[in-house]
Amino acid sequence: MSKPDPAIRSIQAGIAAWLIPGAGHWLLGLRGLAWLYFIAVSGPFWVGMLIGGVKASVDPQGNWWLFLAELGTGGYTAVCYMIAALLPTVPVYVETPYVSYFPSQDLSQIYLSVAGLLNLIVVFDAIARSQTDGLPVFHHEQLARQAQQTPPPTTSETTP
Amino acid sequence: MMTLATLLGMWIPLLHPIPMPTSARVWMFFPLAAAVAAVYRATRARDVAGLTWPIIRTWLNIIIGMWLIALAAYGLHMAVIRLWY
Repeated sequence: MSKPDPAIRSIQAGIAAWLIPGAGHWLLGLRGLAWLYFIAVSGPFWVGMLIGGVKASVDPQGNWWLFLAELGTGGYTAVCYMIAALLPTVPVYVETPYVSYFPSQDLSQIYLSVAGLLNLIVVFDAIARSQTDGLPVFHHEQLARQAQQTPPPTTSETTP
Repeated sequence: MMTLATLLGMWIPLLHPIPMPTSARVWMFFPLAAAVAAVYRATRARDVAGLTWPIIRTWLNIIIGMWLIALAAYGLHMAVIRLWY
């Protein structure tokens, strides 16, 4: 089976990683890294969502900046947004069991925003690895540096 | 959904938030720092083999670094209080 176009591979890996953390790496065949990214991003996201609850945590009208950070984990945020939309909206002065308060809200926001921003790194990493056959950007730079330092082979070594 | 939860009087994950004590903010920092360390180290690795120790080292670096920043901020805060009041 022929390899798909590098541009298409990058787009596929990026979108997959954005929808589910680690899925982009899974598509590229990097299963170990995929599991690590999945746990390292999904863990903080779902812990944050459990602590804060969907109603207060996925609220583009009430907390736009948090929502923007959460969009880093696009698939998860979309699911939580749909669940939150099913719950009734009440004025801020009305107490409701679906809204979290300090310090739960504080903790939840930190966890969710960190998870969202971490997943952006994972998305960019998946895109970068799709273009370097699974090598990280850092490793790629290291190889280029090594190639520069290694002297070119002499004629006697290359001729049989 | 609201009526069902109210009727049952039960805790539904993701719908009902979890009340946390104020002290939890300190302890909850450790697993979050571990997640950050894991992602940071993984972006620089070829595969997961041999990543455990670098992740632990980075995790400790983050914790010690944050602790030093907190200490410096506290020192500055105390110095300002002494100088101005």
